[in-house]
This record gives sequence, C-alpha cells and structure tokens, in this order.
Amino acid sequence: MSSSSSPDIRRWYVIAAPYLWLLIFFLIPFFVVFKLSLSDVATAIPPYTPIFSWSTGIWEFFSQLDFENYTFIFGDPLYINAYFSSVKIAAVATFLTLLVAYPMAYGMARAPKAWQPTLMMLVILPFWTSFLIRIYAWIAILKPEGFATLFLTKLGIISEPLQIMNTTTAVYIGIVYSYLPFMLLPLYASLEKINPSLLEAAQDLGSRPWRSFWQVTFPLSLPGVFAGCLLVFIPAVGEFVIPDLLGGSDTLMIGKTLWTEFFNNRDWPLASAVAVLLLFVLIVPIVIFQRQQQLEREAGR
Amino acid sequence: MTVATASQSTPTLTPRAGPRTAAPQSGFAPWNDPKKPPIVRFEGITKRFDDFVAVKNITLDIYEREFFALLGPSGCGKSTLLRMLGGFEKPTEGKIIVAGQDITDMPPYDRPVNMMFQSYALFPHMTVEGNIGFGLRQEGMPKDKIAERVDEAMGMLELRQFAKRKPNQLSGGQQQRVALARAIAKKPRIVLLDEPLGALDKKLRQQAQFELMRIQETTGTTFIIVTHDQEEAMTVASRIAVMDKGDLVQVATPGDIYENPKTRYISGFIGDVNLFEGKVSAVADGCVEIESTEGSKLKTRSAEPVSVGQQVWLALRPEKIRISHDQPSSTVNAIPGKVEDIGYLGSISHYHVRTAGGQRITALRANAAHAVERSISWEDSVWLDWPVDAGVVLTR
Repeated sequence: MSSSSSPDIRRWYVIAAPYLWLLIFFLIPFFVVFKLSLSDVATAIPPYTPIFSWSTGIWEFFSQLDFENYTFIFGDPLYINAYFSSVKIAAVATFLTLLVAYPMAYGMARAPKAWQPTLMMLVILPFWTSFLIRIYAWIAILKPEGFATLFLTKLGIISEPLQIMNTTTAVYIGIVYSYLPFMLLPLYASLEKINPSLLEAAQDLGSRPWRSFWQVTFPLSLPGVFAGCLLVFIPAVGEFVIPDLLGGSDTLMIGKTLWTEFFNNRDWPLASAVAVLLLFVLIVPIVIFQRQQQLEREAGR
Repeated sequence: MTVATASQSTPTLTPRAGPRTAAPQSGFAPWNDPKKPPIVRFEGITKRFDDFVAVKNITLDIYEREFFALLGPSGCGKSTLLRMLGGFEKPTEGKIIVAGQDITDMPPYDRPVNMMFQSYALFPHMTVEGNIGFGLRQEGMPKDKIAERVDEAMGMLELRQFAKRKPNQLSGGQQQRVALARAIAKKPRIVLLDEPLGALDKKLRQQAQFELMRIQETTGTTFIIVTHDQEEAMTVASRIAVMDKGDLVQVATPGDIYENPKTRYISGFIGDVNLFEGKVSAVADGCVEIESTEGSKLKTRSAEPVSVGQQVWLALRPEKIRISHDQPSSTVNAIPGKVEDIGYLGSISHYHVRTAGGQRITALRANAAHAVERSISWEDSVWLDWPVDAGVVLTR
C-alpha cells in the first residue's frame, strides 16, 4: 500500500472490501488447512491432534506440530505420480480445449454483430444446469451401450461398442466440455477486439489469408490464449468430479487422491498436506496469469 | 517492381474545354492524350449492397503518375470505389483493369496496389520497422534487401528515430507517416489513400498534404486519394472526380472544377458560390442573357448550349464580384444592394449584400490598403458588378 496520505478516505474502504473478503474467506481458511497439515491423525472427533486449548498453552500446542505429513508425501511415489499425472492430464486437456475453442471463438468474433449476443448466450447456456448433472449426462453418452455408441453404430462408423467410459479419454472429454466456456470467452474477447482492417492491410501487403492469420490474428489473440489456458489449466489440475465420475482406476489425479485421503482414510492432516502442496503446484501458473494480466493492462493503457 | 519513368511521351498541350484553364501542373495532362493508355480503368462499375446502390455504373480512367482525388460527402460511394480497386469489395457489375490486366476477380494479395487505410491499420504487435517491412517479407525478399528498402522508406518520411517503437508509442502524425511508408515500401504502381489525413488536426493536415505531394512526385507513383475535404483535393490532386450518391458528377482538374463546375451541386461543394436562378432571354455572340427571378438582367459568356426560355442558374464566385459605392458605367451585370453583414477575416473580408430583389449575395474583397478611403460599412448602399466572363451558366 502506498504511503500517500490521500484525503479521500472512501477510496480506502473500496480497496479494503475485497482484501477483507480474501482475508476472511481465503487466507484464514488457508491457515486452518495449513495448521491441519502439520497435525497428526487421531481416532477422535475431530480426527486430528493437537487441538488448541488454553489450559495446555500456546508453546505446548506449537511443539506438537511437525512436517511429518510432507515427508510422507515426498517419500511415497503414489502422491508424486498423482501430482505429475494431474499436471499432465490438465495440460493435455487445456491444449485440446484450446483447439476446440479457437475456431469457435473465431467464428463468433467474425459472425454478424447482431448474432453475437445470441452466440454468447449459447456458450453460457450450459451453466444453467448443474455441473454434476451435466457430467452424469456424459456417463449416459459415453458408456458402452450409451448414445455415442448407438449413434456411431447407426451411422456405420463403428461396429463394436465404444470403450471410452472409465478411461482417461473420457476425462479429457469431460474437461474439454466443462471448461470450454472459460477458454472461449477470453479468446472471443481478444479476437473480437482485433480491427478487421488489420487483416485487410495484411492482405493488401501481399499476405495470403492463412499467413495473415499466423502473422496478425494469432499474435494479437495471444493474451486471450494465455488467459483461457490458465483459466482451464488451474482448476483442471485439482479437478475431482470429472475423473471420479468419468475416469477409471488408471486415471490418477490429485483431486481424487485428496478425496480418498479425506473421506475414505479419514486422514485429514495428510489430505491437508496434499491440498497445500497442490496450491504450491498451482502458484507458478497463477503468477504467470497475474503477470500476463498486468502486461495486458499496460499494453492497453 | 519499378515505376516506369513516364513523361517520356511529351504531353500534348491541347486546350481543355471551357473558357479558362487553371491547372497547377500545366505540362502534365495525360488525360488529354487519346493514345495514352490509362493505368486504371473502371468499366461500368456498379456496386450494390442488398438493395442499396453504393456505386452506379461508373466508367473512369486514371493515368500513370496522376494524383487523383475521389471527392464527395460521406456515403457518396468514393470509399467503395477505392476498396473495389484494392480488392476488398467485389463489383456487382463491371470490370476493373489495371495496366491492361483485368483484375476484377484478383484477390487483394495479388494486386499491384497498396492501400493506406483511414484508421492506418498499423500492426500493434510490430515495431515501425516491422510494419514497414511487412509487405516486403511477404515477397520473400532477402533480409538485407528488406532492411535497405525499409530504411529508404523511413528516411523519406523522417521515421528513422522511431524504428524500434511500437505504434502505440507514436503520435497521430507519426502513425500517419508510418502508414504511408508501409504503403510505398513495396514500390507499388498505385497507392490508394482512404481519407489518409482525416484524423489529423488542421495544421498538421496541411503539412501532411505537401508531404504526400512530395512523396508522390519523388516516387513517381500513381496516387488515388479519397477525401471529403475539397480543399485537400484542390491542393493535392492533378484531377478530381466529384461523386454524389454513387454517381460520378464531374471529372476535371481542380482549376476546371472550380471555374467551370458542371452542376449546382459541384459549384456549391467546392468553394463558395452565388447562384442566380433565371430564364434565358437571349443567346448571341457566345453570350447568354438571363432574366433572373430576383429581377436583374445578367449577361455571361458561355459555351453551354441553351435555348431562349430555358431555366438556368448563373454561378458566380464571391471573389469575382466587385463591390463599391459608385454606380458602375455599364448597366449589365450591375446590381444595387444593401450591406447586411461583414465577415472580416484579416486578409480578406466577406460582404453579404441583400439586393432589391431580395437575394443575398456574397462578395469578397482583399483588404489591400490599410485604411480604405471609403470603407464599406453595415447598411451601406452599394453596387455589385462583374465582367461577362466571370460567371458560369448551369443547366442542372
């Protein structure tokens, strides 16, 4: 915060509100989780020790905290593999989402102005249905006797039932489907901003349409590509519902591991340590995202 | 592509139609040479957008090394015509021929023309150098050759010091120069300029007009400019095509357009004009006598074929009218009136005079003497008079 003594005190209230929100609903819960990750599992309610009490004193409380859970995680390849696998699945899924979303966003940005609100509405429309229900719907589509098999058999493209339910492929389909709007909207926003006369200028100077795309359109849409990729990648790494419902036993994702530790093994401290580490895995892309936003703001001054 | 050195064919100095010629470049008039092939030929070009006709059956020839202006109010079809030459719009009917080749269906990236856009359309992610070299890179020109040509263009427009800057770090005038440099960097045969100076303030615009003329002359390129600013067209152009609602109204040199406008629309669009409405009362010795509706007898030399009784208009430029307190000796083209308003502009003054017939006439007088012996003031009774060759008879 700057030390300038602004006479307008109301400005500080405006700035304070979101920070206060973050403090109460993000930072404090984070410290609760962090403290949990330093605790030991116990067969009790709540299932961990130590629990702070005034009778034992603060020093006694702190002396019982340790990094045991973290050393355990780093010692067990299951967790490390789950982290790597999550990052890999999220990265591949993000790239696939980009491939699907870019032509759609391009089409939307080039569509007649009068259509654009309607198209935007169609993109947002799936949000009106519960996320969980939409993923369940994919089970009905992807299962061997599901709609996809039925449809493709009818068309004569396949003769045997599709075996993609409970595989990583199904997880990719689920992530691409669910996160498509998060990719599409920033892409659309950056593509829509491009002045069409820039493409005319490129063609006028001898650039064929496909080259114009790579020389002008794509570089100018990069802020949207970055924003979209991070908006998809960050939540996809910790995704739990999609791998749980659509993925199989071979789909290793940290969100699922975390859930298992928390609910099946009732090991809250270990689950908390997994969650804290997940946060650190995501800090890198989040920082990149912040920097990108900053650069964009500066460029658009 | 190098521009062929024109002017090898000695331009024939055929006198232009009309009593006066006032072309600034008197030696250059390829449009009067029937043997000279045009570099651009629009042949019966019509452009329709749904049910709106933007350009109506236009046929027009433009010659090498011309600085040709398409002039008209917004929505007159001038930009559409230019964009069809650039390849961004397809004519609904007609053909466009450039240097003998039909380019009607040629995509913009194959055309030997480069355009300077109204919005400049500079690539925001590229430096000044990158922008100017863009067209050269598309040709696969070797890197050192590109650098040479970019440097040449930057030198011509005094942009070298900004080479590494991005467009958003430049002022409006600098951006305009980068856009021009980019359009000429490929040394195209024809440069199209769509309202190139529209975004500049007045002082910068005048400076940029002379810069455009300098570049056009030094490169020997054909320039075609679209503008709604008649002063700009008059300043830069060798010929002007005035357009109105998709029609080509008149194509002539700036001098001809000013002195011999074809219609009332053009006479009013370029410069100020006094219009007398009336009926032809006599035609004799190349002179037309007009009985004006406000009650005066007007006589003007005219080549316009008119018949007695026909409704005509006499267009008279304010600077051609003499204003004085004394009654002139001649009785033709002399009208008494009363001064209603005076617009003092320093070097000149506008006098708005109400005639006995009720018409308001504007006369112009240079303020040559510091104190005019009998200065004309408000409510003064004055006489307006002009010679027989001052006005133009218009039938439309």
